[in-house]
Amino acid sequence: MSPASSKLLRRARAERPGARRGAVLRAWPQYLAVSPFYLLFAVFGLLPVLFSAWLAFHFWNGLTPVTPAGLQQFKFLADDLVFRRAVVNTLIIWVLATVPMLLISLGLAAALNAVRRFRLFYQIVLFLPSVTSIVAIAIFFKAAFNDQIGLVNVTLRAIGLHGIGWTTEYWPIKILIAALMTWQWVGYNAIIYFAGMQAIPSDIYEAAKIDGAGAFRTFWSVTVPMLRPVLIFTVVISTITGLQSFTEPQVIFSSNAAINPNSGGPGQAGLTMVLYFYQQAFTNNNFGYGAAIAYGVFAIVALFALINWRIVARRES
Amino acid sequence: MQVSRRDVLRGGGLAALLGLGVMTLPGCSSSSGGSGAAPGIQDMSLWYWEGGLSETVVKSAVPQFASSVKLTATKVGGDFKQKLQTTLAAGAGLPSITGVKGEDMPYFRSAAAKFVDLNTLGAADIAKTGLAWKWKEGQDLTGKQLGYPIDIGPTAMFYRSDIFEKAGLASDPTAVSEAVKTWDDYYALGTELHGKVPKSYPIDQLSTIWNIAIGQTSGRFVSQDNKFIGDSDELHQAWLITTKAQTLGLNAKSGQTRSNDEQSGKIAATFGAAWAALDLQSEAPKTAGKWRVASNPVKPTNYGGSFLTIPAATKDPQAAFDIIKWILSADNEAKGFEDAKIFPADPAAWVLPELTGGSEFFGGQKTIEIFGPAGQLVPSQYVAPSDGAVGSPYNDELTKVENGKDPEKAWTDAVAAAKQVAARQGVA
Repeated sequence: MSPASSKLLRRARAERPGARRGAVLRAWPQYLAVSPFYLLFAVFGLLPVLFSAWLAFHFWNGLTPVTPAGLQQFKFLADDLVFRRAVVNTLIIWVLATVPMLLISLGLAAALNAVRRFRLFYQIVLFLPSVTSIVAIAIFFKAAFNDQIGLVNVTLRAIGLHGIGWTTEYWPIKILIAALMTWQWVGYNAIIYFAGMQAIPSDIYEAAKIDGAGAFRTFWSVTVPMLRPVLIFTVVISTITGLQSFTEPQVIFSSNAAINPNSGGPGQAGLTMVLYFYQQAFTNNNFGYGAAIAYGVFAIVALFALINWRIVARRES
Repeated sequence: MQVSRRDVLRGGGLAALLGLGVMTLPGCSSSSGGSGAAPGIQDMSLWYWEGGLSETVVKSAVPQFASSVKLTATKVGGDFKQKLQTTLAAGAGLPSITGVKGEDMPYFRSAAAKFVDLNTLGAADIAKTGLAWKWKEGQDLTGKQLGYPIDIGPTAMFYRSDIFEKAGLASDPTAVSEAVKTWDDYYALGTELHGKVPKSYPIDQLSTIWNIAIGQTSGRFVSQDNKFIGDSDELHQAWLITTKAQTLGLNAKSGQTRSNDEQSGKIAATFGAAWAALDLQSEAPKTAGKWRVASNPVKPTNYGGSFLTIPAATKDPQAAFDIIKWILSADNEAKGFEDAKIFPADPAAWVLPELTGGSEFFGGQKTIEIFGPAGQLVPSQYVAPSDGAVGSPYNDELTKVENGKDPEKAWTDAVAAAKQVAARQGVA
């Protein structure tokens, strides 16, 4: 509720005591109708957020009584070299995934905007990956990028190149995870850009045409600037989600689960921040430290979302 | 919405984090007690996981106790430890009997008060005829018996007799066991094998050797008085033994391509627990009949092997204990081996025909001749509740050694990271 509206309410209540309560009571069907979301949000969103904030200042292994930890968990976090590695991994994967993804999305959206026939078909095809189970996609990528018998390496060898250690080496692991994220979300972003392009008034394009602008000039000087609000949205959302990648490395490297589960694959090259949180909290039964990591992740995501927003928004002005 | 998978994570992960408290609200249901059942018959529930107990035995347990108990057995899917932990923390909806995996026992032992001491129900007498080291794994430090052993995981060497023959090496299990008495012997044999058959390797991945080598130490990572000993000399020795496979070029590095490398013969030998035979069979069905089992270098170790426990909230622990005793009787344990290669914890089952027969996958070899003595000789080792967490950095660094990192540098880094984990786990 914004400060302005609450002030209005307070004034209304001062004028006619009991009026607000009456309004709430009269509107009970509406409140009931929207309550499922708020109840679910309270149970699965708000309470966990508050509880984990409390946990971050305690020690708890999940079974024995909780003991206070003060700032100890955050001190551990500041010294934790593995967490630093996870942050670096996450940032690399995020850049590798987001930059090509948004560029390809823009290209696809322009192409979609240009075609006239079967447009709905293309829209559905583009959107499908984003509603496909990420676990299923990860299992497929794991098989396709298998170092020895995967489709990708077999193809590379067939054309005389060397196979790449997609699931064993530092950079290939990151590229594999980034490729998966790109594949899954490129169509979704393309659809959003396409919707944005549809909203650009056609008279601007006509004016550009009269001024003698070609297709590319029109795209960079009219379409892209007019899409700026949509671009800001996709960049911020991609940052928030990209920095929280978890399922991709978790599923791809689940084969050595028996020995060292959720460790992010060979050399921890696929250990992202959220996967590290999961490993510490749920594999190692260190819930207090897990909560501290979760808040560390929150701080980093908030910071990068803010930086992104500042950069993209400033360009606008 | 693009955010949906994050919501799933937040909903699943953080909610589980917190939710433990919340979960108690809705269904504080039916663990035990007589509601709904006929008079004189009590409801009881049993939790286990896929492959944790013999299906046929669990099914026949229901009519067996029908006169006094309505037994509901539930195969809990997903992360079993997580679900049991959540339920125990919530304190409601608990089963009357539940399985606990061997690797999770040290963790659940840290909350011994949440389980019934089986010695109060007569477990001590049964333990006398069982394996002392395995029963001890199910005890807390005060001697409270929390777990009744289901199975054990005596480890041994699995090898391809056809590849050994091709390399001109002895391929008979007795001869192979004799030839690999020490790790030096093993590497000598491995060097010869890889030299004669260059596409085959005697080690599948470093973590396999490491797992055996740390099982052969006296102390692992955390001592009984909760001190960090992950930098001990014997552990460093185990590290040198393990990483030697890499420096000698004998490591197949099959961590991510295991099934394929088992089929293709790239892996000529590996180490694993008795139950790993089932994995091998399903990962490399085409190689049936070519594998054999021989004894570990130095000495056998144990890897895995689960327990049945009775949560403290169970109303009639004696009835629960009677069911456990029946499910894990020697005859029924032998059925578990036949069904799903669950290697019986009770040596009385080892002499039954299900175990003494030859195994087709192992070319007719009577594998009990290796696993039986191994099971008897497993050295007792203290495994701390934080063992898995503190041990994790060593496995991480081994994968870096496989990608070319210097083994000594990796050892230093592993110890440093393990110390940090230990401090966070409250280890001094």
